Formats: sequence, structure tokens, C-alpha cells
Amino acid sequence: MVFKRKRIRSTSYLALWLGKLVYLLLRALRKKGTSLPGLLLWRIRPSLLQELLQQLDQCVLVTGTNGKTTTTALLHAMLDHEEDPWITNRGGANLIQGLLAALLQNVSFSGRMLAKNAVLEVDEATFPHVMTRVSPTVLVVTNVLRDQLDRYGEVDQALTLIRQGILLHPESQVVVNADDPLSASLGVDRELTYFYGMAVTPHHDPHRAEVRDGAFCLHCGHELHYEGFIYGQMGYYECPSCGFARPAPHFSGVPDEAKKYLQVTETNRQVASSVYTFHAPMFGIYNWYNLLSAIATARILGRSPRILQDSIQRFVAPTGRMQTFAGSPRRILTLIKNPTGANSVLRAIESDEEQKSICFTINDNDADGRDVSWLWDIDLTSFVANATCQKYYCAGTRALDMALRLTYAGVARDQLELIESLEKVDPATKEAQGKVYILSTYTALHKLAAQFGEQHQGKVGRV
Amino acid sequence: MTTCIRIAHLFPELLNLYADQGNLAVLAKRAMLRDIEVSITPVKLGCQLDLATTDLVMLGGGSDREQAVVGKELLRYKADLQEAVDAGLPILAVCGGYQLLGSYYELPNKERIKGLSLLDFASIAGPSRLIGNIAIEWLQADGSLTGKTIVGFENHGGRTHHNYPALGRVLQGHGNNGEDHLEGIQYKGIVATYIHGPLLPKNPHIADHLLQKALRYRGYFEPLSPLDDELAFMAHNDMLKRLGVTMMMKEK
Repeated sequence: MVFKRKRIRSTSYLALWLGKLVYLLLRALRKKGTSLPGLLLWRIRPSLLQELLQQLDQCVLVTGTNGKTTTTALLHAMLDHEEDPWITNRGGANLIQGLLAALLQNVSFSGRMLAKNAVLEVDEATFPHVMTRVSPTVLVVTNVLRDQLDRYGEVDQALTLIRQGILLHPESQVVVNADDPLSASLGVDRELTYFYGMAVTPHHDPHRAEVRDGAFCLHCGHELHYEGFIYGQMGYYECPSCGFARPAPHFSGVPDEAKKYLQVTETNRQVASSVYTFHAPMFGIYNWYNLLSAIATARILGRSPRILQDSIQRFVAPTGRMQTFAGSPRRILTLIKNPTGANSVLRAIESDEEQKSICFTINDNDADGRDVSWLWDIDLTSFVANATCQKYYCAGTRALDMALRLTYAGVARDQLELIESLEKVDPATKEAQGKVYILSTYTALHKLAAQFGEQHQGKVGRV
Repeated sequence: MTTCIRIAHLFPELLNLYADQGNLAVLAKRAMLRDIEVSITPVKLGCQLDLATTDLVMLGGGSDREQAVVGKELLRYKADLQEAVDAGLPILAVCGGYQLLGSYYELPNKERIKGLSLLDFASIAGPSRLIGNIAIEWLQADGSLTGKTIVGFENHGGRTHHNYPALGRVLQGHGNNGEDHLEGIQYKGIVATYIHGPLLPKNPHIADHLLQKALRYRGYFEPLSPLDDELAFMAHNDMLKRLGVTMMMKEK
């Protein structure tokens, strides 16, 4: 039994007060959403992270390469309650300073946590540092896709970091994606592990040239055999050499024909025990996975299907997750940061048959990933051929790279428009007929959201 | 008779860490625009590489794990590859592919990933990764300046030292080892480099250089007709500007 302190150490008070003062000052200046107080605390009193985290009764961590922010937001909507509040770090502030800033808002001047539960999204590289300081009640791994390679070297390393963290806490419950061979490998032969996966008829489309990082067995190196792919490396796989295969999911999801509802089947000891139906608040197959992992986690924490259904109804999509803005033309803002994510976004847009244009806003700041070579791994050729987009706009620090990429994918020069600065995205795309899908990397997202103004009411996150 | 170039893409399932397939898209499109046919053969693990019907080899980069798998697989072609290289077979080798041309790549734990020893050099992991945008001035094989630049992105842990003609002289960035201001190798048909991004879209002159080499290797000697590369050079010059390089590329 781990001894839980009720407050922080006496030597930490000065740092805490300073942090809180800075936080209150920033709030008074209406500078919201900054991690600055967190950064300050981490610099002057790093032990505070542990002192605050250890006061929690329940701590849910969400990590993985894609879908962390949406999954965390969904989970927070499902878990948070007036009488039993849950702390969360919003807007993708998933480094140590972001976690500290979120905790700081919920601690008294006497050093006691005012809320006893937290659902936190944690960056893959930060994850091992958090795991040495807290034993999470539940840990959710969304997936391990190729993401921002130049920050961590390569995809193997993201997986290694997550694996290291998990090994520290055999007592934690882990929720893992069964359809992704890389993340599934984290849960194989581990107790207290729950798998989730999609029970859909996977399609096999040889014309899609997507990157599949999981195509090789992590145990023996043999090429995995896929019965079908769902998206990216996600699918029904098996290693013909060592027998590693997609684990049978404890939570298995099936979207209905019209893609409006997700039916979830819970399985206990290979017996389907209960089936529930949930309204899907966002479109795109990757969002179905986010929803499914959140449902699985909330169920493990004892939330009733009824509570989940209600909270999903009220759910508002976080910034840039198929966020729809009012006005004409209607603009739909969504984050892209790696090929697999971008492919699933494009696939969702392709299925929209209305008149539309698309605007790529590609920045290469540190948080975006400075290496933009991934743009060439997006399967744009089939998108350009299949989706009838009227115009292709390009903006951001790497607008020219994107424009060049599009011409090689078959976009004609007269369909292509370069937007010289981020500020001009709003006026430039105002001319478009129909709606405009804005696909943006991380650092441009909030600036764009601010430009487009009010979020469309009533149909949030849907088109 | 239509002109045709046959490209072998080695282990696309393993060596596509930095979107190396973008290089192939560029080669194929630029050939097509000149009525040159291109056939790209993906050579996967266990498939046979037929060097007799190959005019250009594309060897991309992979993670250390993948590079080791490829190194082992390629060893069985070593003699044939050596012969083809001596005869001038064009090879574009990027990053991990570059390291594989040498005798080994030594990891931080001193473990060595065996290379093909087609060329006499080795790469050794340094204390940090060399990461960032890079611009070099392209050199001629005799070491004289071409007045043309190459831009891209580098991300490698390995430091490579060699005595072959370099692909270029570093203007901004790290290059082969961060010490001698040289980048890549040009030797016979080989163009090996740490630059990805991918390499060819923003450097159409290098794409054409490789196409020309492949055509000559096949026995066609007509020059390539110029293409509209305005957008490519805009992107190229934009990167030069960002890196503070004053030399600019002009479209031919």
C-alpha cells in the first residue's frame, strides 16, 4: 500500500504560492490557456508534480500518437460530475508544464488537491516521466502511428517510451487498441489489460498507398499477414511465423450503415455480456476509435451506459477536431499531423459529396514537427482523383511544399491558390463556393479558430 | 521505340522512413512529362532483385531495426551489385540507405549493422542526432563548384567519413558528420545523401541528373527537355532564404 500524503511537503509551499500567484495574475490579465505557471513550477520545484499527483484518488492517463486530445475530452465529459469533479488538461497541453498547470488550478494555498480525480493526456516522450511519479488507475493507449519523427527519432522509440512506462506499473489497468499491432503488443501477456477494437468488415483496397508502420511482427520480425485493413496499420492481422495475432477485444465496436451510431459489445471470458448503442458525436473512422476507447475506459471505471449516452450527447468537439464554424461558406477545421491521421481525415472528406474546397495550412514549428516529408506519405493521388474539390488552398510556413506536393498528386495549377500569410486564410477562403475544409498542423490551429469566429451551434463537430 | 527506364525500389515496406516514395513520384512524373516510360518495381523481402533489367536503384532510409533486416537481405546480391556499380548503375541512396552502401553502421551500444561494403567507408553513431533543414552547394565529381544548391531536411545519428567525392559542400546544416562541411557521396552512378524532405521535389535538377544517368546507363543519350519548375524553385529558394543563404537557384 502506497502511503498517500494529504498535502504537499512544507518545503514546497513557496514554489506553490509563487505558481498560484502567477496563475492568478495571468488569469486577471485574461491570458488563459497558458502553461507558463506549470513551466515555472517545473523549473523551481520539480517534486511538486509527484506531490500533487499522489494526492489523487483516481488518475486516468491517455497516451499514444493520435487521438489523445479527443479521447481525453470525451472521457472528461463522461467522468466529470458536479459533485465529483475531474481535473483535465485541455487543448493538448500534454507536456509536464501542461499537466502541472492543470493541477495547479485545483490545489488550495494550503497545498491540498481540491479535486481528487484527474484524466490527463500525456505526450509519449513525457509519459515515462509521469509514470515514475504516479500509479494510474487506468492507462489508455490510443495507437502508435508515425508522428513527428524528428522529435523522437522514429516510431519505434515512441513505442519503447510507452512500454517503459507501462512496465513500471503492473498494478494499473491498461486499455489498448487491439487493431493496431504496435500498441496491441503492449498488452500481450499482461494482466489487467483490456483490448478494444472495431468489428467491421475490413476493406482491402490495393490502390490506397498508405504507410503501414505495423506491417512487421515486433516479436519475430516476420511480415504480418492482414485479412483486411481498417485504416493505417489498423486491421485484422496475424503473424504467420510466431502466431502473434490481433487479441480478441473486450470492447468491440460496430458503426451502423449510416455511420450515426456505434454499437458496443462487451465481452467477458469470450462471452458477449452486454450490448449498448451510442450516438457518434464526430465523423471519421479515427473518431470512432477515440469514442470506443473512451467508452471502454468509462465502463471499466463503473459508469453506466446511460451516463455515457447523456454525456456524449452534450459533447463539444475540442478545437480543430472537425470543428464546424458558422457562416458562409461553412468552414470545418481539423488537425493533421501525420500521414495516417491525414489519410483518415481525407477519406472522411472524400465521402462528402457536396460542393467543397480544401485548404492545407502547414507550419513547421517545433510543435508541428520541423520535418514536413510526411506530406509525401499522404495518399493524395487517390484523393485528388476521387474527391471533387473545386479549389486547393495552401497556407502556412510550408505552403510552397504543400503546393508542390499537390501538383505532383495531379492538382492543376489553376486550381491551386497560395495564401501568403495565416491572417489571410479567412478572407481568401471566403470566396469559395460550398464549404471549405481547413486541414491544419498544430501551431496554426488556434489562430485559425480565432479567425473563423463563432462555432456553429447545434451541429458541433458534425457536417 | 519508346524510351523506358526501369527503377527498382528496394524494400519499400521497410525503407520509407522519410517519405522516400516521394522521390519516386517525382522521377516518374518528370519522365512521363517527357514521354519517357517508367516502370517501378517494388522489391520486397524475399523477392528477387534483377539487376540485369534495372536502370536505377532507389534505396531509402529505415529505422535501425529495419536497416539491419535489409542489410542482411542485400548481402546475397553483394557481388552482383558491386559489378553493376562498377559499370555505372545509378543508385539513389538516402539516409539509412546511404549508410548501407558502406561497410557498417555502429550503433551507440557499439553493435554494428553490417552494410554492403560497395564503397569503402563506415558510419558511427554520434552522441546526438543531427537534425534540421540543410542547404548545400552541389559539387561536380571533380570537386569544382556547380553554382547550384540542394535543400532538404536531415535527421541522422550516424557520422560518416569517406574519401570519395562529396555530393556537396554544406552551406547551412550538418552534412556527413557535422565536422568537415561535406555532404553525401557522388561516385560513378551513385548519389548517396543524408538529405531527405524528400530530396527530389524541391531539387528538380538532381531529379533530372538521376534520370539522365539512368537513361545513359540504359543506352539513351538524348538530353532531357526542360520542364516548368517555377513552383519547385520557389519552394527551393524559400528554404534558402529561411536558412540565410544568399545564393539563389534560377530556373533554366
